[in-house]
Amino acid sequence: MAPGSRRRQRAGAPVFLWVIVVAVMVLLYAPILVVAVYSFNGADSLVQLNGWSLQWYGQVFQDEQIRSSFAQSLQIAAISSVVSTVLGTAMAIGLRHATPWLRRLGGGSVLIRLISPETATAVALFLLLGLVQIPLSFVTVLIGHVALSLAFVVVIVRSRLVAIGPDIEDAAMDLGATPAKAVWLAVVPLLAPSILVSALLSFILSFGNFVTSFFLTGIGTTPLPLWIYSSLRFGVSPVVNALGMIMLALMIVVALVAALLLRWNSRRRS
Amino acid sequence: MTSSPTRSTGRRQRGALLWNGLSLPGAILLIVVFVAPIVYLVLASFGTSDILGRPTFANGFTLRNFENAFADYNLPLVLRTVAYAGIATILCIVLGYSVAYFAARFGGRFGLAIIALVLVPWLVDYLVRIYGWRTIAVDNGLVNSVLGGLGLGPVHLLGTPGMVILGLVYGYLPLMVLPIYASLGQLNPEVIDAGKDLYGNPWSTFWHVTFPLTREGVVGGVLLVFLPILGDFATAQFLGGPDTTMIGNVISDQFISAGSQPLGAAMTTVLIVGLLAAIAFASLAGRRRNAAAVI
Repeated sequence: MAPGSRRRQRAGAPVFLWVIVVAVMVLLYAPILVVAVYSFNGADSLVQLNGWSLQWYGQVFQDEQIRSSFAQSLQIAAISSVVSTVLGTAMAIGLRHATPWLRRLGGGSVLIRLISPETATAVALFLLLGLVQIPLSFVTVLIGHVALSLAFVVVIVRSRLVAIGPDIEDAAMDLGATPAKAVWLAVVPLLAPSILVSALLSFILSFGNFVTSFFLTGIGTTPLPLWIYSSLRFGVSPVVNALGMIMLALMIVVALVAALLLRWNSRRRS
Repeated sequence: MTSSPTRSTGRRQRGALLWNGLSLPGAILLIVVFVAPIVYLVLASFGTSDILGRPTFANGFTLRNFENAFADYNLPLVLRTVAYAGIATILCIVLGYSVAYFAARFGGRFGLAIIALVLVPWLVDYLVRIYGWRTIAVDNGLVNSVLGGLGLGPVHLLGTPGMVILGLVYGYLPLMVLPIYASLGQLNPEVIDAGKDLYGNPWSTFWHVTFPLTREGVVGGVLLVFLPILGDFATAQFLGGPDTTMIGNVISDQFISAGSQPLGAAMTTVLIVGLLAAIAFASLAGRRRNAAAVI
């Protein structure tokens, strides 16, 4: 086969593949486009469009309940992101050299978390909290979110550790570092990108989490997805469209900041 | 060099306190928050419910919750849930593989951008996106006003199985694209060219060369899509109707409204056992013995 024909074979995708990819993109973006358009709707309707207006955005900022839900969601997402990233990074680093029983126990519990559906783990925790009579509250939601993200952090950091190889601590210790110094000065800096990605993912997972919050929340704690859930159940309102767009804007800002930090980090290294 | 392993083992033993200390807090948290509750959940599924629906063991242990979970009237529910999850997963494989393949083989330097495009909708709250689908599909919504403009009769979309399956595919598709894209990335393009030289026909090349080599990615995607769908309840609640209830809906009703928590626990236990069976099957289907490692 001539090299030329091989190049031609690689040139373009078959038509049916184009059709599927375009169809998938339409499917993925259609509801978001609808939400975006209707968030500027001048009419108080979920069907008819009538001029443009920012009234729904105004209502989002004026609504006392939404504001308090927003604040709670931000707090939960920020705290759970920091806590799960710290615990998960430490766990991934430690598990490499921990005693075998702890390695099996830790690895096993991460695996159990990853393969159980969120509904199952959430109702199970709900039951256990009932047994030990801990009332559902802000704190129970927070704990649920931390544990949920923790497993993902371990997986992300561990995959980076595998790429780095297990000898880096040994090399640092051969040069005279104590184990703690070896971790802090040699391992952690190399993990910086995956630590950042973990923190970002934990934040996004927590901020958008519905299932775990749904079962673990108590009176007075209504993270945003739960507010949206109840407003969808009891008479829909166009305010949800505007709120969805504001949440999207926030998530995009978070993702962009992370991307900039990653870039800064790789520049600094090179 | 022979002394090197013992030397580093010695160092590791000296650091043992550090390594164990680093891993312990996270491990304890996972065990207290996930493992212990699931153990109690399984236990509670053998209990009876008190006046408030909470599990109690005052009347001893019983199998009645499992009898109720497997009662004839629940059979359609189970079959429907497995059918929806199965159809949605197959659609996710077809669509997800196409997108991942397109990005990996024809995307060039835009490959990652295509994958990012698949992920961005995730940043919009799930319920808000479901709400967008409602706006499109509701009886006097966008689809029907377009159809009406064309002089076609209104179609009833909300509450139909098709709508629920569409919602499920929509919600879980990115989880299928990612592992397949990752496994396609590890594929050496020369292998495909060699396959073309062997088989000639692009379809047989795909079936005999590309697809088998990326089977692990597909298995990983199936685990990430099929399993969570079995427990999903928000999609069927907002896009479905009374005839499209899924197991997740019935389970969540037992806990949130005044249901029977032991019955909910039994149904969750059945779900988890079903999942373990599915994972065992998947690890047989995948080439590696530990298919969960794909995740």
